[in-house]
Amino acid sequence: MVKQVSVGIADMKLTRQEGVLITYALGSCVGISFYDPMIRLGALLHIMLPEKTNVADANVFKFADSGIQETLRKFYAFGGMKGRIVCKIAGGAKMFEMKGPGGLGNIGERNIQMVKKVLMREGIRISGEDTGANYARTMQINVLNGQVTIKTVGKPERVL
Amino acid sequence: MAIQKYEDMGNLELDIIREIGSIGNGNAATALSAILNTGVRMALPEVVIMEFNEALNYLGSPEDVVAAILVEMSGEIEGIMLFILTQEFAAEIIGKTIGTVEFDFLEMDGIKNSVLTEIGNIMISSYINALSSLTNVNVQLAVPQLAVSMLGGILSIPMATMGINSDRIMMITGKFEVDGKEFNGDMLLLPDVASLNVLMKKLGVD
Repeated sequence: MVKQVSVGIADMKLTRQEGVLITYALGSCVGISFYDPMIRLGALLHIMLPEKTNVADANVFKFADSGIQETLRKFYAFGGMKGRIVCKIAGGAKMFEMKGPGGLGNIGERNIQMVKKVLMREGIRISGEDTGANYARTMQINVLNGQVTIKTVGKPERVL
Repeated sequence: MAIQKYEDMGNLELDIIREIGSIGNGNAATALSAILNTGVRMALPEVVIMEFNEALNYLGSPEDVVAAILVEMSGEIEGIMLFILTQEFAAEIIGKTIGTVEFDFLEMDGIKNSVLTEIGNIMISSYINALSSLTNVNVQLAVPQLAVSMLGGILSIPMATMGINSDRIMMITGKFEVDGKEFNGDMLLLPDVASLNVLMKKLGVD
């Protein structure tokens, strides 16, 4: 049985050699996987909001900007090399067609934009993506081979 | 003392919110009962303040497929109302209103979508009207929106909304019983922290 580690909302997990990292039902949230094939190091991050505005907020993995930075810091500390990183993203859906004054409707899109901006700033290319639309996704990465799979309701599994 | 975060709520404040939820649920149940022309009961509400992952597991499993009608609240109370239904519960409602026997809510057509959205809207409006007249607050409701997807994805919206300033969300829940059968549905009131202060002030609790 393959070891399966679940990544919660506003959470990140990192594992080496083997095992599966999985995060369930990404709606407007975004899942970001990082993989170094040479040393079989994988990380999966689940962010909820684009930007950390309150410096006192201790929950770094809640936000795209602080979450990606902290994940990469750990990833490099575990021996991951920037030049070898394979990065894939999923989620950022528009779950409801909201037109209210809160501007909640496009939170998914804002998350995606921020994730892309931060990754670009960090010099990391995105090599696979399944984002937008209006449905939730479960994302998993197999650390043995780096394969990222996306599950949705009523559609076949997709390998990114 | 002003409430700065959900955890600041004391027993008195929680009791008041539970009472508001109870009146809201009663009105929503009456509305549904009138539409379906059958007895509808709702359990006494729970007021839960939980961390995101905990809240999600409290309501079900993240990958459970549900239908949800969402309405944004603005004005003196800000937040979200969500009416969540399982396939079973949606089938009961559709069956009792338009009389369809075969029903798969992953393949709903325009009419079934409209029926569910409108029923959710009526229930949410009844809930909020009761809350608003009881506490004398002014609440505007946005146009209701329907989604059929995984529970986790649906809840990401209220979590992202409240999550800017909090690592927890507050849910005032309500379970249903239609025609003597229990259904796994939920009527969720998700207010932001500032709205709690408004409610307490209006009700004379300081």
